[in-house]
Amino acid sequence: MRNVTRPRCGLLYTSAIVTKSLLLMFACALSAMPQHSSVKLSNPFQTPQDRLEGAATFRSQCASCHGADGKGGHGGSDLTRGQFKYAVSEDAMFRIVGSGIPGTAMPGFALSGQQTWQVVAYIYSLAPAHGSGVGDAKRGEQLVTVNQCMRCHAADAPDLAVAARHRSRSELRQSILEPAASVAPEYWSWRGTLRGGKVLEGRRLNEDTFSVQVMDREGRLRTIDKGELTSSNVEPRSAMPSFAGKLNVKDLDDVLAYLESLRGGKQ
Amino acid sequence: MALCGAAAAQSGADWTTYHGSHASWHHSTLNQITPGNAKDLELKWVWQAQSLEKFETTPLVVNGVMYLTEPPNTIVALDPTTGREYWTYQHALPDVTYPCCGKVNRGVAIADGMLYMGTLDMKLIALSATTGQKRWETVVGEFRKGYALTHAPLIVNNLVIVGTAGGELGIRGFIAAYDAKTGKEAWRFKTIPEPGEPGNETWGGDSWKHGGGSIWLTGSYDPSLNLTYWGIGNPGPDWNPTVRPGDNLYSDSVVALDAATGKLKWHFQFTPHDEWDWDAVQTPVLVDGDWKGKSRKLMLWANRNGFYYVLDRATGEFLHGVPFVKQTWAERLDAKGRPVKSPGRGPSAKGTLTFPGVQGGTNWFAPSYSPVTKYFYLSAWDDYSSLYFSWDQPYEQGKWYAGGGVKSDVPSTRRERLNRRDPASGYGAIRALRWDTGEKVWEYKMTDVSESGLLTTASNVLFSGNREGHFFALNAADGSLLWRIYLGGQGAASPITYSVDGKQYVSVANGHSMFTFALRDSAR
Repeated sequence: MRNVTRPRCGLLYTSAIVTKSLLLMFACALSAMPQHSSVKLSNPFQTPQDRLEGAATFRSQCASCHGADGKGGHGGSDLTRGQFKYAVSEDAMFRIVGSGIPGTAMPGFALSGQQTWQVVAYIYSLAPAHGSGVGDAKRGEQLVTVNQCMRCHAADAPDLAVAARHRSRSELRQSILEPAASVAPEYWSWRGTLRGGKVLEGRRLNEDTFSVQVMDREGRLRTIDKGELTSSNVEPRSAMPSFAGKLNVKDLDDVLAYLESLRGGKQ
Repeated sequence: MALCGAAAAQSGADWTTYHGSHASWHHSTLNQITPGNAKDLELKWVWQAQSLEKFETTPLVVNGVMYLTEPPNTIVALDPTTGREYWTYQHALPDVTYPCCGKVNRGVAIADGMLYMGTLDMKLIALSATTGQKRWETVVGEFRKGYALTHAPLIVNNLVIVGTAGGELGIRGFIAAYDAKTGKEAWRFKTIPEPGEPGNETWGGDSWKHGGGSIWLTGSYDPSLNLTYWGIGNPGPDWNPTVRPGDNLYSDSVVALDAATGKLKWHFQFTPHDEWDWDAVQTPVLVDGDWKGKSRKLMLWANRNGFYYVLDRATGEFLHGVPFVKQTWAERLDAKGRPVKSPGRGPSAKGTLTFPGVQGGTNWFAPSYSPVTKYFYLSAWDDYSSLYFSWDQPYEQGKWYAGGGVKSDVPSTRRERLNRRDPASGYGAIRALRWDTGEKVWEYKMTDVSESGLLTTASNVLFSGNREGHFFALNAADGSLLWRIYLGGQGAASPITYSVDGKQYVSVANGHSMFTFALRDSAR
């Protein structure tokens, strides 16, 4: 659909359902609309009360799959990251809630336009805030450089912006001080022994009954036939060293401020 | 095991019904492909869907034509030897329909030159199998209230039988039969009894009104008893059982209905007062055999709740039941097959960890029975659990009505790279069970779980696929791998086999395409 002019005054999708052609009826006359061809539809329902209503609808309609906390679970994806695979904008999320996502278990929901916007407002409110305001992000960036964090985080370790979006400030703090406390399965360490005794180590990228795909410690992408392995395992070990005792309280606040600044999105 | 009517229970040159026969064995008499030559299978053709919806169709092949459904509701007629299309019929759907879990369709039924398809907007449509022209269309129910038709119809004598989906949308389920020539309704069986009907007392208060009991998989039929058998879905709301005190008949049951009248002959409830969403939506597999020295008409059933059952299909009598995967919800089954529940395994506000997980020990994907090995084959999800959550939820028409939620490490349907979960969180396996004891004879273990159905042949070849994207052939006698190919998509359908001009083919839907294989010409 082309970007069309969207009214700012009292907009309502009057249909309970968003149709493929997004048939809209506007509460104000078309002639009165501002004419900005690139203006994206903004959510007219984002007061705290709207988010509360959205939370209630989310709980009854979405939480079975996306989890009561929005972090995913029964087939539904994690909606707390502020970035979405299919919903590239609030506008797109509005359409998806109404129409579903083809080829996935995500159905369309017969909510009113207002209810749909409220759910969208609630989902966007789940994203981690841009920053807590505590700490000096500029100095944090320097500390990241000084401590050579990018040697790994620009390579095999999680992208810092992605990590920051997926974690709260307290989770980020824990990842820096106690990296082994919680390691996402995609970063677990893989170790396999080939026939002949050679040991391979790296990160498991994918696996099926017959093969495993790894990035080895030298950064090479490899597919290993399980028939060539005498043993293998994945363990929740992190390659990240602990920075406890290496960063003082202010350093840590500054690094966290820098990480939070990478999240993008809401300011 | 003495088998009566075995010929009619197996598929031959054509694959004429969703389950391969009315006895639902997913077994074929074809024997050109063998454990010895399966390594010489090669791809013959691919038909690619334009739709990106989940492709769950099981095709039919009748009189040299293959009929498949492309989601949501398009029928395609094509040449089964080349994949070239003859015609397509596209049913125009309203912009919004109400399937719980994807705009899917699992296939068509065919009889006397007519094709039948149920649609997401609750229509049953009859077409000419030659021209694809519509002959009649009947409204089966109100789709705006959360009803939908997703399974392939079952044809019994002169009737076309369908049932409604919608167990997560507060529907009240039913099975209905229509005259195959005219589309006129012949009978209707309500899966949730209303006041005054037996069974309504198993629903506290008004909970029966939105009690679910959906139908989303084709049933079976025994002509000798003139009974048709259907597995019924979960009670609603799924995970808030406190609002529906009682056993909640006929949810999670198999019902035996008189095929001519739709009258209930018997029922057996696998999971009374279900708290986990364990629909009894599995294939009723009908075999005749010796049970403790007496020849009986039996039904074999591997249920989503993790137990394997043997029932007498004339009377519904429970004969045997045993777990086939790790389960923690029941201490045992009593003498009548009723589970003695373990305390504290139902959903809770903070979440309760219970085995099996929400998709169950197995699910709708077809099992197979082979009269050659006398094994019952199934695709199992083992060491698999979910956290089950419960909360209050009022009913609203056409909206999600599940009263809770679930968290599982293993995604219910989504295919993803397999590095995002602990390998200990569950695995898939093709298993052969002794039909009478449910004892495991062999298993073929897979890294990921599978939603692919099974097919066995008279030459002891078992075909299946998995979520990893593989399609493969096993030796049905011992489970050894004979051949495999990586198709790259999710397998969420059952393979079929058929023969045209003396050549045996195997077809399966994977990803968004239909793949067909046969032996290399030089290998036959």
